[in-house]
Amino acid sequence: MAPIRLLELLILLAVLAGFAGLLLRRNLFLKVLSMDVMGSAVVALFVLLAARSGLRSPILPRSGELLAGDYADPIPQAVILTAIVIGLSIQALLLVVITQMARIDPSLNEASFEATDQP
Amino acid sequence: MTPSWISPDSLLIAWLLVPYLAAFLAVLLPSLSHALVVLCCGATAWVGAAALITGTTRPLQLLGEFGVPLSLEPLAGWFVLLNGLVCLAVWIEARRQGWDRTGWMLLLVLLGSLNTSFLTTDLISLYVALEVVGITAFLLILKGRSANATWIALRYLLIGNTTMAIYLIGAGLVYAQAGSFAFAALAQLPLGAPLVLVLVGLLTKAGVFLNGLWLPRTHAEAPAEVSALLSGVVVGGGALPLLRLEQLNPAIGELLLPIALASAVLGLIYALGVTDAKRLLAWSTLAQMGLVLLAPAAGGLMAFSHGVAKSGLFLTARQWPSRSLETWRQQPLAAPLLITLLMGSCSIAGLAPLLGYAAKKQLESAMPPAIAAALLVLSVGSVAVYCRLCRAPLAAASGSQAASAALPWGAWLLMLPLVGGGVLLLAEVKRGWLVSLVLLGLGLGLDQLLERRRQHVGHGLPSLDRLPDLVGGLGLVGAGLLLSIGAELG
Repeated sequence: MAPIRLLELLILLAVLAGFAGLLLRRNLFLKVLSMDVMGSAVVALFVLLAARSGLRSPILPRSGELLAGDYADPIPQAVILTAIVIGLSIQALLLVVITQMARIDPSLNEASFEATDQP
Repeated sequence: MTPSWISPDSLLIAWLLVPYLAAFLAVLLPSLSHALVVLCCGATAWVGAAALITGTTRPLQLLGEFGVPLSLEPLAGWFVLLNGLVCLAVWIEARRQGWDRTGWMLLLVLLGSLNTSFLTTDLISLYVALEVVGITAFLLILKGRSANATWIALRYLLIGNTTMAIYLIGAGLVYAQAGSFAFAALAQLPLGAPLVLVLVGLLTKAGVFLNGLWLPRTHAEAPAEVSALLSGVVVGGGALPLLRLEQLNPAIGELLLPIALASAVLGLIYALGVTDAKRLLAWSTLAQMGLVLLAPAAGGLMAFSHGVAKSGLFLTARQWPSRSLETWRQQPLAAPLLITLLMGSCSIAGLAPLLGYAAKKQLESAMPPAIAAALLVLSVGSVAVYCRLCRAPLAAASGSQAASAALPWGAWLLMLPLVGGGVLLLAEVKRGWLVSLVLLGLGLGLDQLLERRRQHVGHGLPSLDRLPDLVGGLGLVGAGLLLSIGAELG
């Protein structure tokens, strides 16, 4: 199996593991962590996509001449940089809210926050 | 001679950026905040109206080949106009509630990020804009300051971010296959996994069918002004990109058709069953967003007429004596409030001569006959839903009471386009008055029938919106879409 296929498979597994954790875990903190596992897998996917054309950092030397053809694709890398920042800030916001909620139920079981009234 | 920087393009870019700048200024100089909000909302409404009146498409490419493509066409114009009007109306009402400077900052950021999401035509800029919308909406929901509001806000951001991670995977796969993040590149690819992942993300943001199960409780529990923003415009951030994709590739429209119809049916069933008035409005949003996605030709007007009416209805919610529909008949409402409630309800139920009627007619003419017939059946349901709101009796006008109840100016601002636009567009749809009357009669009958049943039988509707249900809904719709594409290929 080509290494790039293996890496793709691992990323897919990480996404599915994150999704399963989000679905099955009862603890809110673990749910947020599962979401982060998914987010990290997405970052890995974009880095892998960028590496298909080569592994060299896409930065031109001062002289401006191209050293070789095997540069990584800069566009997915630039794009995912934004997504990393957004993911981090959302993670922080969620954790702040969770610390507030821990005052109501320190075990952070989601069932204790769900309303029981009709839909 | 005009200087070169005052070109229409640079003005458009300035209009996109000014709300963010104004948001910071509003925090630093609170005395300016009201002027800034009015300026930004007014400019937004004006840009939207101008795009609709001229009917031209204005494409714009920032920063070269790999930059940010923007496009302002009449379809986006409806959403931009809606955004300006709803934010302005919310400002009028929120001033009375004593919002502080952070509130104005959030309102301005929401306005700006929604404008960006309406104009952008590539997957990554849309991702960034929708995430900013999501974070801002999250902070606005937290203004509710109760334990329940905290839980609802947490749920909203958790589901929103998960679904955007799925969306990003789709965007990455689109880039791997097409070498571009543009909507057009996605629409040209054969239907497959990248499209499904992107659709799951956008359907969740638009609040459609199982992906939108987060919507009813979130919109019902948020403070009234925030509900108006969420139900009026924020769902449009997901709906407009879906309409654009349908426009680019009709096969995507066919793929989404069953989901859109199922969403309309699901929303109606729950709106008919619930006993809480705010939740009735929220479930009806889920139903109406399904109808918006049916046809790109009518989607803009549909979203506009629904958004304006629904925001107006939510803005009156603070003045209701209680939210319970079981005691709705015994709660007299003051005349200004009752008129607003009647007008908004009649428009969404699709009664002439309001704007909702013109939107429904346009939608019916854009669909094939079988679907148009199904839409008629659905509109009987929506008449029955909004009958429940119109049952409140008129309060006897005693002088002191009428003076103490503040006039709902914000909601009235939103009712203006409902009447004005409805009368303007009425000339285009002349026939169908009789059908409209028959539908009204059938709807009233259905309402009476259900009302009798409601008194005898308890409400048997299952609860669909616990957190695992929301996550499971994403998985189910994604798997269903993949299966239906696989079946077509096989």
